Amino acid sequence: MSPPADPLASLLAACAQRDRAAFARLYRETSPKLFGVALRILRREDWAEDVLQECYVRIWDHAQDYRAGLAAPMTWMTSIVRNRCLDWLRRPNLEVIDEEGELIEATESGDPGPLAELESGADARALKKCLDALEAKQRQAIALAYFKGLSHAQLARHLREPLGTVKTWVRRGLLRLKSCLEAA
Amino acid sequence: MNWRNNQQLQERLAAEYALGTLRGGPRQCLERWMREDAALALAVAEWQARLAPLALAVRPVPPPARVWRAIEARLPAAARRGLWDSVAFWRGLGLAASGAAAVLLAAVALISPQAPAPAPAPVVLKVPSAGMAEAYLAVLSDPKTNKPLLLVSAGRDADQMQVRTLDPSIRVSGKDLELWALPAGGVPTSLGLLGDAERSMVKLAAAADKSLANVPALAISLEPKGGSPTGRATGPVLAIGPCVKFW
Repeated sequence: MSPPADPLASLLAACAQRDRAAFARLYRETSPKLFGVALRILRREDWAEDVLQECYVRIWDHAQDYRAGLAAPMTWMTSIVRNRCLDWLRRPNLEVIDEEGELIEATESGDPGPLAELESGADARALKKCLDALEAKQRQAIALAYFKGLSHAQLARHLREPLGTVKTWVRRGLLRLKSCLEAA
Repeated sequence: MNWRNNQQLQERLAAEYALGTLRGGPRQCLERWMREDAALALAVAEWQARLAPLALAVRPVPPPARVWRAIEARLPAAARRGLWDSVAFWRGLGLAASGAAAVLLAAVALISPQAPAPAPAPVVLKVPSAGMAEAYLAVLSDPKTNKPLLLVSAGRDADQMQVRTLDPSIRVSGKDLELWALPAGGVPTSLGLLGDAERSMVKLAAAADKSLANVPALAISLEPKGGSPTGRATGPVLAIGPCVKFW
């Protein structure tokens, strides 16, 4: 029932034992991906650097809370980074740069970029298949929310649709995604 | 809105939390509820896993070297705090807060700080008990009705748990019941499948004192024959309850 041994899981276990060399290796092996995750959501290098720094300190502090049985190491670490990015974006004094301009430019509606890269691994293939099975609007709303950290209101502005409509796309899309993944 | 008794709503909130569209006050509320409600925490963990391949499809970008230097500069304090100031660490090991215990623990911690083992080195100190068996005990109840369904117990030094089914209607033919440890602040870990008899044993990876020390709650989920194929609970949580130690 345990997933196959992941070298990152061993590194996290060593971090829980306060092994700094293991932590340095964990950083070397995972920080480019996690920096990419933070950059995609925050779209500013200085913010992404601050968030990455906080998240690795958090990973070190909480390494003993990681449980290999329930989440892959990268899933666990990615959730930490995504959560911190979303917190960052809702800071009250954040000067939102050009939400209508640059943001829209950065999220070209037809942009298949990240979805096209979803290829390797059985989980990724199943997710891609199930995303492809969604209605285009549902898929777009879910991808924008996930990749860009957009809220319902930002999605509605970006897609130029009423808030209620966008919420429904997201809700129905997630429901269909789940039943598709469970049937896979 | 009574979300606690509404499984559909819980599922939706978990999904929108993982997607990121749940924001502001509701997001903070859900984070608080997750800490109290293991089934909700499980639903969120499952959604994070479902969507994770999306996040990992990003192009890797090596961060500038200054990021690692800044992290490293923050580590020594973190190391001290991790070991000495963590209430969970001390309480989790079940130590009486005596000077002798503290000295012994410090010695153990100093001898094996680099051990690559997946869990802290086992430290078992015998504390005189007044006749009562030293054991972990959990009563798992239906999360909706609170009706007790199973009784789980394990002697402190035992490497197996005894599970007694109080209500046989929890069983579903063609399915297995899987027992999960719900660690504080961590993700659930499978402890194994329940046998079919009213009383069955579930083997622990290590003595209860080690396996259950940081596990404030246990839960049962309904799984396909042979157990969850993913290492995560895939079916509904049928029973859940606190796991407490008696000594």
